Amino acid sequence: MADLLAILSNGSASLLAHRAAASTAGHNLQNANTPGYARQRAELEATRPAHFQGDAYLGRGVRLGAVTQARDRFLERQIPAALTAESRSRAESDALEAVNALGPEEAGVSSALADFYSSLRALSQNAGDSSLRQAAVGAARSLALTFNGAARAVEGARAGLDAQLEGIAQEANLAAADVARLNQEIAIARAAGAEPNDLLDARQRAMDTLAELVGASPVPAGAGHINMVLPGGTALVAGIRAGTLAATPDPTNGGHLALTLRPPGGGPAVALRPAAVGGRAAGVTDARDGSLAAALGALDGLAFELAGELNAAHRAGFGLDGGTGRDLFDAGATAAGAALRIAVHGGVAGNPDLLAAAATAAELPGDSTALFALLATESAALPSGLPPGAALARMVSGFGAAAARARAIAEQDRGIREHLETLRESVSGVSIDEEMVNLTKAQRAFEATMKVITTADQMLETLLSLK
Amino acid sequence: MRVTDKLMFHRAATSAARAREQVEAATAELATGLRIRHPGDHPAGAGLAVGHRQAAGRMAAIGAAAGKAADELAVADDALGGVGATLDRARELAIQMANDSYGPAQRAAAGAEMRMLLGQAVALLNSRAGARYVFAGTRDDQPPFDAAGNYLGTTAPRRVEIAPGVTEAAAPTGNTIAKGPVDIPAMLSALASALDGNDAQTVRSTLGDMEDAVEQVAQARARIGSSMALFTGAAEVSRVGQDAEIAAISALVDADAVDAASRMALAQRALDAALTASARSFALTLLDKLR
Repeated sequence: MADLLAILSNGSASLLAHRAAASTAGHNLQNANTPGYARQRAELEATRPAHFQGDAYLGRGVRLGAVTQARDRFLERQIPAALTAESRSRAESDALEAVNALGPEEAGVSSALADFYSSLRALSQNAGDSSLRQAAVGAARSLALTFNGAARAVEGARAGLDAQLEGIAQEANLAAADVARLNQEIAIARAAGAEPNDLLDARQRAMDTLAELVGASPVPAGAGHINMVLPGGTALVAGIRAGTLAATPDPTNGGHLALTLRPPGGGPAVALRPAAVGGRAAGVTDARDGSLAAALGALDGLAFELAGELNAAHRAGFGLDGGTGRDLFDAGATAAGAALRIAVHGGVAGNPDLLAAAATAAELPGDSTALFALLATESAALPSGLPPGAALARMVSGFGAAAARARAIAEQDRGIREHLETLRESVSGVSIDEEMVNLTKAQRAFEATMKVITTADQMLETLLSLK
Repeated sequence: MRVTDKLMFHRAATSAARAREQVEAATAELATGLRIRHPGDHPAGAGLAVGHRQAAGRMAAIGAAAGKAADELAVADDALGGVGATLDRARELAIQMANDSYGPAQRAAAGAEMRMLLGQAVALLNSRAGARYVFAGTRDDQPPFDAAGNYLGTTAPRRVEIAPGVTEAAAPTGNTIAKGPVDIPAMLSALASALDGNDAQTVRSTLGDMEDAVEQVAQARARIGSSMALFTGAAEVSRVGQDAEIAAISALVDADAVDAASRMALAQRALDAALTASARSFALTLLDKLR
């Protein structure tokens, strides 16, 4: 009779195991679309030790051994680097694609420069004509405004990337705080003797986010904690403590923002070198301080040198009023910021008669020798080595090559990331078909176990009814 | 490889998104007519387009200036034609009045006509093209000759660009046409005075200068003719050059409509195939069979 009761007891325990299996399958089905969810497996095992009776060991049914996650550790080690690389290259590519002020289109600096020289040529045909002078000064003003607009667009893009960097720092702080908090919760949950799979999933999601945002990679630490470490080796999360990122103005970079980190253990915030940050933050700064800064520098250099050469030629010429020694453009004393500053000199802008066309006052008003000297700047090399058109072409090509390179690298990195994510999903993802089978299996096993219990119960009844 | 539902949905989403990217790119190219909308689309092409655009503008401006210069030279040529005709009449009159058979009254009448011819010649030498006096050199906002035939313009002619960095003199100055070697206004004035004074001897002595003056004007016209040919040629060369540069820009930057349309059709077919494949893969699931 004791054995029959053992069957009932074992059956009851087995029912719990099958119920757990059904529950796990159900949990998987319900989380089939949950981002970052890794399917769980109810590991059933025969209850041990078996019961020795007579000459044999009798089994004691089934028990739930553990509920484990399906994750491939080899894959999981590769994924942070892929996330970091892809988010970095995508951020840089997106930033450069968004800037269209440096293109060869008709409304750009290229056309304004061509129109400026064309207006001087038209004026050289009739240097005393007031409408042609008005048109030439107007073309000069358009050229200056186009330089201003292009510089403003590029600097505006850089300022926009600063705003993105601020957002990235805030998001990263939230994710880092999540990792730290989950390290603590996982440690507490593990103390109960089982793996807290859902907490592990949540921590993995936060870790992936940090890899994307700032290139942080996971480093296992003691007590089941995972530290998050930035590319330079600086810890962003250490155990149950998280550092704090901030985007602060960098006076050595024109006031553009740079990331600082207050370490997890406390203490003053330290500036992070560009090489110490990865992910989207690095992509943003790559674009801002790399290609966009280079393009702006080239634009400033072109505006400054062109203004210098034109002014030198203009100062030697005579306006209709007989005056000489005047500048045509104001671009400031240094190249930095020249594209934003350049403007037609106030005197000439207000009075087109002051535009110098003649070589001497005696040759007024029809002499165009000074205009020819201005026109000669079109094909003469600037101090940097190329004529204005060629310098502009080089700037446009250079920016285009940087954008094309970033686009190609982003595409390549996207392929690698997608491939790894596909493999991860293949290992860890939920297949509804599989889980439906698992659910049915658990249901059938539950039904079968119920049959065992019912049968044992009938056997007990038969035994008890013996007189 | 184990295929999960999320993998299928993700594949469907990404393949549709990529197909839509291709459709969007082809549509944008067709709609804008541009192949290069961002320097990153074709970095070398974008840079070359800048150079071609500069060159096209240069050619257009040089062509326009050379064309205008040729037009002004036509005005100058007409004017010198008139001066030539005036000198012809003056020579005829001088030859006639050199004959001793004419008396003071007739010579006085001839003198009056000679003064009229002087005024006519000065008026022709003060011809304008638009607001500019064509024979005034660079001081072209005022008449180069006063009523007495004194030259008030500059000695250096105005110059016009016919190629980048290459200039050519425009119309010859009144100085070179009418003031050397024969001072034509002075000669006509002297003739008029001689006729007024019934001085046949002086009239006869001017006949040689008269021949030289006619030749002088003819040579000036010949120079104008060759300059006109030069400017007209420069305008034509510039026009051809401009067309070539514009064609080069178009080849680089403009979309080939047929090519873009066929790519758009291909992209749309690819999108349709991606969506159809995705819909079919969603239809097969154990969940439906267990109902």
